[in-house]
Amino acid sequence: MAASLRGIPKKVLRFTNRRITSRTAPTAGVPLNRREPPTARNFSAESEPKDTHFGFQTVPEHEKAERVYKVFESVAQKYDVMNDAMSLGIHRLWKDTLLHVMNPQPGLQLLDTAGGTGDISFRFLEYAQSVRQRQLRQRARANQTPSWVEVAADYGKEAEPMESRAMVCDINKEMLKVGKERAERAGITSGVHWVVGDAEELPFDDNQFDVYTIAFGIRNVTHIQQALQEAVRVLKPGGRFLCLEFSKVSNPLLSKLYDAYSFQVIPVLGEVIAGDWMSYQYLVESIRRFPDQETFKEMMEDAGFFRVQYMNLTGGVVAIHSGFKL
Amino acid sequence: MATALLRSLRAAVGVRRTLSCVVAQTCSSPQYSGLRRGFHRAALLRLADDSKSNQTVPPPYHHERFQAQEPQKGSSFSSAEEASASDPDAQHEDPQPNTSYQDQSGEQAEDYETEDQLQARILTAALEFVPQHGWTVEAIAAGAETLGLSAASAGMFDNGAGDLVLHFVAECNSQLAKILAEQHNHIQLGHVEKKTTSEFLRDAVETRLRMLIPYIDTWPQAMSLLLLPPNIANSLKHLSTLVDDIWYYAGDRSTDLNWYTRRAALTGIYNTTELVMVQDSSPDFEETWAFLDNRIRDVVNMANTAKQVQSTGEAVVQGLMGAAVTIKNLTGMNQRR
Repeated sequence: MAASLRGIPKKVLRFTNRRITSRTAPTAGVPLNRREPPTARNFSAESEPKDTHFGFQTVPEHEKAERVYKVFESVAQKYDVMNDAMSLGIHRLWKDTLLHVMNPQPGLQLLDTAGGTGDISFRFLEYAQSVRQRQLRQRARANQTPSWVEVAADYGKEAEPMESRAMVCDINKEMLKVGKERAERAGITSGVHWVVGDAEELPFDDNQFDVYTIAFGIRNVTHIQQALQEAVRVLKPGGRFLCLEFSKVSNPLLSKLYDAYSFQVIPVLGEVIAGDWMSYQYLVESIRRFPDQETFKEMMEDAGFFRVQYMNLTGGVVAIHSGFKL
Repeated sequence: MATALLRSLRAAVGVRRTLSCVVAQTCSSPQYSGLRRGFHRAALLRLADDSKSNQTVPPPYHHERFQAQEPQKGSSFSSAEEASASDPDAQHEDPQPNTSYQDQSGEQAEDYETEDQLQARILTAALEFVPQHGWTVEAIAAGAETLGLSAASAGMFDNGAGDLVLHFVAECNSQLAKILAEQHNHIQLGHVEKKTTSEFLRDAVETRLRMLIPYIDTWPQAMSLLLLPPNIANSLKHLSTLVDDIWYYAGDRSTDLNWYTRRAALTGIYNTTELVMVQDSSPDFEETWAFLDNRIRDVVNMANTAKQVQSTGEAVVQGLMGAAVTIKNLTGMNQRR
């Protein structure tokens, strides 16, 4: 299985060495605006370093990627436990909802960016498998007493159905390591592939994947617009982009409760369970710095997605954005 | 002004990038030939705009086509822009030209095909997989794949299989309307004689029901989908337009209660005949057409009977009035003193 990978990541080796840079390698005909930061729109080729946000701090852009890397490197071991503690297990429902929205048919190729410990990919494979089994059951039921004509026609025609494949791509090797261990423990051997890569410069060819998901990862990307454009690039025509991310809560009362919980409880949990206050402080701050639902929808449309829709979960705490490359 | 210049410069740069992509992809997507034509038209429109603002030199391999078409593109550009501005579903809500041209050629062509049209094409392509997969999202996914799109694009349809069935019903209804209009034309031109109302209704309902024959095995599933709460409003709408069309071409111009009674009657006939057809196993559905004949005859009989009852009633009333006057005459009560 490993030997017969299609869409083989071409730049994996290079990436292990230049994982930190946020500078993009110029590919043929890259328009000027790809190097823009998400906030300003100007055409002067910047030579001086631009600043961006890291939680509530301001840091130079090239530092942000490094610091995000360090955050996830330190939380990797306790990532899943902390997810359960912080969201009281609700993150599982959010991810299940993402899969239901995706409704993947068997045989699709998934790129799970910032996939880290592989939550989305495992669910994807399970879902596709259960759909396939249901299809087979229905077909078997319909074919209970095939006539000799049908048997003769089907003889030798067993087409190999396309297997679903999930590619987990993450910039952080620690997270991937944890994910691989989880896969082994769960007994998932085929169908998942683990790749180190930067969401702003994916190590894949064009038009490779049917579905691109990024769950709770895009707010950590330095240049979100670039990540969206990379998503457009690697998706097949007709492919779907799905983003599950924390977003703005519209209800003011809920918003106050949510803020209080985020800033008072979560960093404390981080310190107690994972021994890392600052990482979880960064986490809740970065949620506040992420654009709201409508703004992100416009960013997706700018990148070239069609039929962009979003769905609020838990009152806006989390939003699923969906777009198609048509 | 400066921003407009910058925007057009950016557009030109984006166009150059996409044109290079197009050249690279020329051999890779034969299904997209129609879309690529659309793209080339779009690219030329944008180049015409750029040259007007004197910002960039168009790429050399497009130069001669650009030269030849620039004069008329100038005028068609404004009309295309108006068209896309007025079309509420065109592309997406962003009306600014600067952002749409960084995209690859497949999306570029979306300017010339709205999302609705693309959805309609996918659903039409999905119909051929219905006998195999039933009226389900899998059929839509298979249809999308024949168009060269990924199966994930079936997620565009929020209503899933319901969208597919409604699309099919709408297509059948518009096809029937076309056939009826043609027949009407022939009658106007005198090629064919006018049919009686009952014959016309019978033929129209039979034509419409015959469109179901390729999908008759899975039609019960479709009927149940049409009855689901999210779909029931749309399915009733389609049914009422169907019945209205048939009566219109049958010549009904009534403006009184007859309008409602006629349409109610035809709705009943259509639905019951459809149910009979679904479980009919006779050759070429003869029993269904016989059933249809009987129902139409019943309705016509009812109409005649109603008229007869009314005139009989009037006659009876007049007779009674006459008898009363005679009795008054006989008893001498009618005399004026």
